[in-house]
Amino acid sequence: MWLQRNFDFSLNSFFNKKIRKINLQKLPLTVAGLALVASFSSTVFANEVEQDELGPKITFPDFEGEKCILPEEEMRRQHPDLLKHDRIKTLREGVRAKADGSKLDGSLKQCINCHATKDDSGKYVRIDNEQHFCVSCHQYAAVSIDCFQCHRDIPEGSGDFHALSNHKNLDYKAVIPGTYSLTVKDMANITPEVHSDDN
Amino acid sequence: MTINFENKKQQNSEASVESSRRNFIVGSAAVAGIAIAPSVVLYQTAHADSLQNVSAKEGASSKVRWGMLVDTTKDVDWNKCVEACNKEQGLGNEEESRDDQRTQYIRVVDVKNKGTGYSMSLPVMCQHCEQPPCVDVCPTGASMKRPDGIVLVDRHRCIGCRYCMMACPYKARSFVHEVLHDQKEVTPRGKGCVESCNMCVGRIDKGQEPACVEASSGAIVFGDLNDPDSAISKLLKEHGGKQIRADLKLNPAIHYQGI
Repeated sequence: MWLQRNFDFSLNSFFNKKIRKINLQKLPLTVAGLALVASFSSTVFANEVEQDELGPKITFPDFEGEKCILPEEEMRRQHPDLLKHDRIKTLREGVRAKADGSKLDGSLKQCINCHATKDDSGKYVRIDNEQHFCVSCHQYAAVSIDCFQCHRDIPEGSGDFHALSNHKNLDYKAVIPGTYSLTVKDMANITPEVHSDDN
Repeated sequence: MTINFENKKQQNSEASVESSRRNFIVGSAAVAGIAIAPSVVLYQTAHADSLQNVSAKEGASSKVRWGMLVDTTKDVDWNKCVEACNKEQGLGNEEESRDDQRTQYIRVVDVKNKGTGYSMSLPVMCQHCEQPPCVDVCPTGASMKRPDGIVLVDRHRCIGCRYCMMACPYKARSFVHEVLHDQKEVTPRGKGCVESCNMCVGRIDKGQEPACVEASSGAIVFGDLNDPDSAISKLLKEHGGKQIRADLKLNPAIHYQGI
């Protein structure tokens, strides 16, 4: 209530100033300003929204009785810290389990294995799809984080990726026309263009 | 021979305080035996049936030093090891890079003596030096050595400056030039980072041998160089081994026989 009263007071003083200075040329600007103030005040009065309802609604896959390591509200805030803390432990120190022998909290692999979402055809969606669990929220929050430039974005063994090959005997020009780079061998086969500028 | 000498020297200095009293009684001949005693007690049970020397809770231990002994005299197709490595680590999915740009964790190097005509080939991977130059030069701390001697790139910190590639005398490191997809879970890797053989660190932490060792049909022996009872230490003690460019005094963990 204190906030509301305080706000009303400032609103009145704002109006008074505006009314004193009002002229015809600036009328559209004033109207726009009033509209802005009106919309702002309406959000202030409607500030009863639950924290949970902010942000996009995320669809969780069926965990089959398993629970995430923290409740959803805490995971929303704390998942970056959990991941960052444990990545140092795992990679640099070689720690692969908690002191009691259970799994570490922060494991991107585990996140993906549980949370990976499937599309209508039953295939896992990749990181470039807005249905991907991580993307569904990060896109809304304008977070562009590059975990999946290196990390795998769907569970392994799902069969949704092409077989690994060493591409040794592949003709790149046929596979991806226009996007290949020339190898030394290619260069050797190319006859140099002869410019006849001297004539 | 330099290897054995250095190892002994190290062990002596570690246990010199404990052993000083017994030295006096038993005499200098027993120094080595006493010096290695602590590690034997700690690891002999674990090493008997598996390679599970690393505790998952405590992480990599500096009491262990992982190493490999490559017997180049054995008739083995080293490309099988390369294939196993590629499969394990998910390498070879660059589509636009040139051949010389594509990541190699293991290179098969053919050597020929022009005088005699004798030729041989050997697999050269990251040599996991005790004094790694790549770690010395890294400006961000991304290039690192785990306590158990495995040299790794922490891609979270790598900025792709490639200074380590210049510093490495073994040409062991590669740079990823293009956006990658379908990486393996065990080896996240991507554009703009340097990478090299990680001795299949995930497998080691699970108590398994590296993929190339499994595929080598016995030509590569993997084990703990600090443990005198491990197969690799016994072989090195009995038959000796050479390190590539031992003159650089980096003390690599990869030893070779027949070079």
